Amino acid sequence: MTVRTYLLPRSRPEALGLLDEHGPELLVMAGGTVAMPLINEGISLPEAVMGLRLAGLGGLERAGDELRIGATATLTQLLDQDAVPMLREAARNTASWSIRNMGTVGGNLFTPPPGGDVAVALLALDARVTLASTRGERVLPLADFLTGFMSTELAADELLVEISVPIPGEPTAYLKLGRKHASTPSVVTVAARLEWRGGRVTDARIALGAVGPHPIRAREAEQLLVGTRLDADAIAAAAVAAAQGCEPFTDGIATDWYRRRMAGLFVGRALEQLTPGAAGEGR
Amino acid sequence: MASRIVTFDLGGREVEVMVRPMTTLQSVLRNQLGFTATKDGCRQGGCGSCTVLVNGQPMLSCLLPVEDVAGQRVTTLESITPAEGLHPIQQAFLDAHASQCGYCTPGMVMVSKALLDHDPAPTDDAIRHALTGNICRCTGYRPIVTAVHSAAEAVHDAADAMRGSAGERAR
Repeated sequence: MTVRTYLLPRSRPEALGLLDEHGPELLVMAGGTVAMPLINEGISLPEAVMGLRLAGLGGLERAGDELRIGATATLTQLLDQDAVPMLREAARNTASWSIRNMGTVGGNLFTPPPGGDVAVALLALDARVTLASTRGERVLPLADFLTGFMSTELAADELLVEISVPIPGEPTAYLKLGRKHASTPSVVTVAARLEWRGGRVTDARIALGAVGPHPIRAREAEQLLVGTRLDADAIAAAAVAAAQGCEPFTDGIATDWYRRRMAGLFVGRALEQLTPGAAGEGR
Repeated sequence: MASRIVTFDLGGREVEVMVRPMTTLQSVLRNQLGFTATKDGCRQGGCGSCTVLVNGQPMLSCLLPVEDVAGQRVTTLESITPAEGLHPIQQAFLDAHASQCGYCTPGMVMVSKALLDHDPAPTDDAIRHALTGNICRCTGYRPIVTAVHSAAEAVHDAADAMRGSAGERAR
């Protein structure tokens, strides 16, 4: 253990002030489920760490037609809300009870693949993130926030403080394939949401996890769906495009070949759930 | 940086420890306080053997700087073990042969305690879902699920008996 300074701010202004004062060398930690294993193992050797557990950033509330999620709201809080069912499903399929009691929604956006399953759902839901610093605040679409493997748009003096999610009226589908039924890293995670008018798809969001450097949108597949009635041909074409367009990797969970195959299969299954007339979904 | 003094509630007793920055709750319990029921398995948040309850919620003490729980209520296996005999969950684990090498048992018992506090009559699925973060390499899990079911019944019967004797006293 090399940590010489552990800062525990009690408010957002205090946290932003400490971040400004200490600069980019300060490791910011929320639930500790990603940072602590690396510190315990000596892989990460920070001298100064700021813990956010007491910083008052853990609120979660419905405000009008959006869900406002404080950056340090836990995955358990996400499981306990009922405004956005897809986020419940994503939380239920992430890690274990103890980890959900510790891990945070904001932290999940910084969790490298094959983790970060909640971020996949947030991406399909067009979530926006609020970044704050002593200079002020800015709001970005999550799709623009995630820029690469373990890299984001966050500036050195900025803190992710809130995630806001439009509450969708339209049906959504969320599927995660792991090697076990629960508490498992992802082979592939698929989150999908479609908008319809007159029996045709007018807009589509398909987000994929564990098949890229960060949760990604399957944009070509999305475009192929617009204007269709989501028939079998449209679903098959979108599944092929999603599989071809992703960037899977090989790790101890799955090979890149298997991940690509499963990405296509699970995009197809998610879209079938959204087909008009499918049980409990569609229109 | 200088060490700090942290106080928290451990099983109903206030404890005070002096720690270097970011010392884990696991390390404080085992190395400073001698509360060794909380195990030191992977230190990665992967095995569940270090599970304790913080304000009644299961958390992994290996991932938790003790400064984060200052002023809060920590419950370990020692906290729930009576001075004589065993807690009904411990007895159920013993009776169902749900413990072999025993390393996972304290974590399993703590999560089971939290589960039964939330849900006095959990289904098989609820038990399995609650215990997914606790790895056992001996039992194959079936005896553990059986033990949690019988613990639920034992806790229920004990509550009935309490109500019964209270009723008799009232008469």
